[in-house]
Amino acid sequence: MVNLTIDGKQVTVSKDATIYEAAKQAGIYIPVLCYAKKLLPYGACRVCLVEVEQMKGRLIPSCTTPVTEGMVVTTMSDEIRKVRKTVLEFLLVNHVVDCPVCDKGGECDLQELTYEYEVVTNRFEGEKFDLPTDEVNPLIERNMNRCVLCGKCVRVCDEIVGYGSYSFINRGFETKIATAFDRGLNCEFCGQCVSMCPVGAILPRPFKFKARPWQLKEVDTVCGYCGNGCTITLGTKDNEVQTIRFNDETGVNDGNLCIRGRFGYSYVNSADKLTSPMVRRDGQLVEASWDEAIQAVSDGFKAAGDSLGIISGARLTNEELFLLKNYSKALGTENLDHSGGECYKGVTEGLQETLGIKASTATFPQVEKCDAILSIRSDFYETHPVFGMVVNQAIRRNEAKLTVVADKLGKFTKLPNARTLLHKPALELNIINAICSVLLEEGLAKTDGLEGLDDLKKGLKKFTAKAVAKETGVDEEAIKQTARELAAAENAAILLAYGLPYTAYSKELGIAAANLSLLTGIAGRQGSGLYLCGEKANSQGAIDLGILPGAKGIGAQQMLDDASTGKLKALYMVGEDPIASYPNRGMVEKAMDNAFLVVQDLFLTETAAKADVVLPAVSFAEKDGTFTNAERRIQKVRKGIKSKGDAKSDFEILQLLLSAAGKDAPATTTDAFAALTAETSGYEGITLDMLGKQGYVWGTDILKPVTSKLVAVGGGEASKSKYQLLVGSALYHSGTVSTKAKGPNAVVSEAYIEVCREDAAELKLEEGDLLKLKAEGGELKAKVKVDRRLPQGVMFAPYHFSAMELNRVYTGQPVIAVEPVK
Amino acid sequence: MTETAEQVAEKTEEEIDLGPANKVIDKYLDMSGNLMPVLQGIQEEYGYIPEETVHLTAERLNVYASQIYGVLTFYAQFHLEPRGKYIIRVCMGTACHVKGAGRIGDTIKERLGIGHAETTEDLLFTAEYVACIGACGMAPVIMVNDATYGSITVQKTDEVIEKYKAMG
Repeated sequence: MVNLTIDGKQVTVSKDATIYEAAKQAGIYIPVLCYAKKLLPYGACRVCLVEVEQMKGRLIPSCTTPVTEGMVVTTMSDEIRKVRKTVLEFLLVNHVVDCPVCDKGGECDLQELTYEYEVVTNRFEGEKFDLPTDEVNPLIERNMNRCVLCGKCVRVCDEIVGYGSYSFINRGFETKIATAFDRGLNCEFCGQCVSMCPVGAILPRPFKFKARPWQLKEVDTVCGYCGNGCTITLGTKDNEVQTIRFNDETGVNDGNLCIRGRFGYSYVNSADKLTSPMVRRDGQLVEASWDEAIQAVSDGFKAAGDSLGIISGARLTNEELFLLKNYSKALGTENLDHSGGECYKGVTEGLQETLGIKASTATFPQVEKCDAILSIRSDFYETHPVFGMVVNQAIRRNEAKLTVVADKLGKFTKLPNARTLLHKPALELNIINAICSVLLEEGLAKTDGLEGLDDLKKGLKKFTAKAVAKETGVDEEAIKQTARELAAAENAAILLAYGLPYTAYSKELGIAAANLSLLTGIAGRQGSGLYLCGEKANSQGAIDLGILPGAKGIGAQQMLDDASTGKLKALYMVGEDPIASYPNRGMVEKAMDNAFLVVQDLFLTETAAKADVVLPAVSFAEKDGTFTNAERRIQKVRKGIKSKGDAKSDFEILQLLLSAAGKDAPATTTDAFAALTAETSGYEGITLDMLGKQGYVWGTDILKPVTSKLVAVGGGEASKSKYQLLVGSALYHSGTVSTKAKGPNAVVSEAYIEVCREDAAELKLEEGDLLKLKAEGGELKAKVKVDRRLPQGVMFAPYHFSAMELNRVYTGQPVIAVEPVK
Repeated sequence: MTETAEQVAEKTEEEIDLGPANKVIDKYLDMSGNLMPVLQGIQEEYGYIPEETVHLTAERLNVYASQIYGVLTFYAQFHLEPRGKYIIRVCMGTACHVKGAGRIGDTIKERLGIGHAETTEDLLFTAEYVACIGACGMAPVIMVNDATYGSITVQKTDEVIEKYKAMG
């Protein structure tokens, strides 16, 4: 710690703080334009100049100068005022003062400083910029005439996002921020640059002329898309979400968001949302009252008796899931499941069998301090983009070594010094096994107190680095180096994502990752962690709350299978659209046709269109409750807008259903939270008051494994087909909900088949051509996207778009053998 | 119909052989701080920096294309458009200016239709007005690639242009 004096006030701060940070901590205000908490110090704007007694004779930029013991700082004097005012005059020489039509008006740092320093006239004259506005893309508008060259957009895109859209180009007066070849912006559209821009140079286009900042009501809540659980602040007006506001004070995301979080909100305002219950009469779905609908549901379920299955999505709040669980009990069924029922088995069965827990062992911020990181299968920059940003920072700021086990390249593989173990599809398991085998062979494994070591050794016999290298196409030495790095690291992390399109070897991968975490000592060690990250906002909550088949119950796939053959008579779908997203569409459709079907959703989805009763639900922005993210952080979801029409939250709907079943339901979500914490393992004693700005992590920052059992698992099997199709999720979308949101759709609006350049040349395909693929079980067609990230022979298709009917051929297999049709 | 410079540029863009660029990158791949020598090497090979080579460099050196573009536009030495086979440097330094360098520039503009930093459509000539080239004793002076032509007049300029035109 260092002691210094700022404006006569004694301040004690850590030795790596800057003067600006020390002042901020002491509650002393220093103006800044180019400083941002999460970016490295830069010192571009010169408005934060201060006087330092020990450095007399010049003014010192407070945002780049580290504190020293005994420093005496003055943050305001006539001299400082004069210089800051001059800096502002300089900035205003070229800056176009069009505040009346600038969306930043009212929250613009330059506007506020100009006012504060009373820059009424300007002693300098110069040419105003007259650059064209970048309006090529629908999401981010860049007006470089308003730019003050603070470089925050350049830095955030590099330091955090790792995309590198921007750079300073030209020099001297001509300097400006531009993309490569000064073209329109064409990037991931995460909008980090929008949130960083201190002026109106980079703005969200969908928000243009929608509202003045001071007219917006701000509501802090949690993003409804992926399991990262970013906190977002809704800016609402006229009972609509108008924009997502920048907020780096709450949650784990430091104000970082991806395209879905920042621009994917429009579906909550959509006019296509269901506003009234519907009941099927004479073959037609017609609007009905809630009483009629609830009656129809009750009658239908009563008729089915215990021949009933309930499948939920993982975007319901904990409170709603709690009621759903109670409702399943009321109906006397243990056929309860969520998210397709397979993908999460790495957690519920894999981790359970080995570590005796069903969750990630550590929290996201700890990853930033890791020395070695192993990412398996998913490119987190695509599945959990903001977690990807944490990994990027670990690499850039702490020189962490990243190893990526993947079947295609991605942003992770491009990070500095990343090692990619690019393997043939379906062979992730073999590589993890090989890493374990190297640890044991080279005596690097920490085997004390581990059960099942002999069995594991036996099981790993055929997974020597040499054999696996040959089988997978990965360099043998790279496998060995990865093992050595993980063993040597003081803090290390193993990451594995799961989700609907990644059902193959789910349990086995969970076990293999857990084996590795035990052999390296990562599981339960302070600073290290094993992360199994769910696809949806409340995937972890669904597991914690036990939205899983009971001992006598069956899982989602079996329910659908049984319903398709008439064995199961009724199905209740809560926030799931299995026809669009579950494997084996043909079977799912048959199930929906056969069963008495109740669908509770926001939209009239393809599944809902087949329902006997449709119950209109509301989005995350219209309800109160809690989500538990992939690192076990319970955070508050807050209602920003009122629901439209007769739609109700899943909570309210389940209250009605419970009451119709003659059961009591908690009166409020607060009561429900109290009730669920009492019954949920790990949640005991947690109250809503404990969910502060950063939420509350159940099981503490490090969740210690209950058991330490190694379990041998076999390997995957590669396909011999010349062309193979991988199914997965794409950065711009999350599940199927995002396909109803304008933002993500503006960038990627339809399905595609990604093909590498070599294959494109061989098949004589160009970007945008229609490609037809023959696969077992049917045919697929979609437009071609030519990319550089796939190995030859491997193609990729995102699973979000129902129209492609990818799930006619995707039945949960690790890789689909396909054949291009001429 | 004659092709415009843009069309010519587009055509060259499409037909760019990345072999030489790859060779340059191979040479410097393991060196730290390799971006400048790579870009200089590429310019040496192609006479300018074709866009495709920027993307290639970005991919192979793992540097953002935007950053490379920033470097390319910062330094006057890099050229993003194809340049003529013959670069005519017209000295505009003080001595040359006094001795009528402006007229020499005008002559070139008249004969070839190119002003400063412009290239003829046939990609034969590029004109560049430069500050002192350090041959004030021979003012006014022009250079064509590495050859220097001193005490130049309008008539001599014509002769020089014709000579290089004839060489093709």
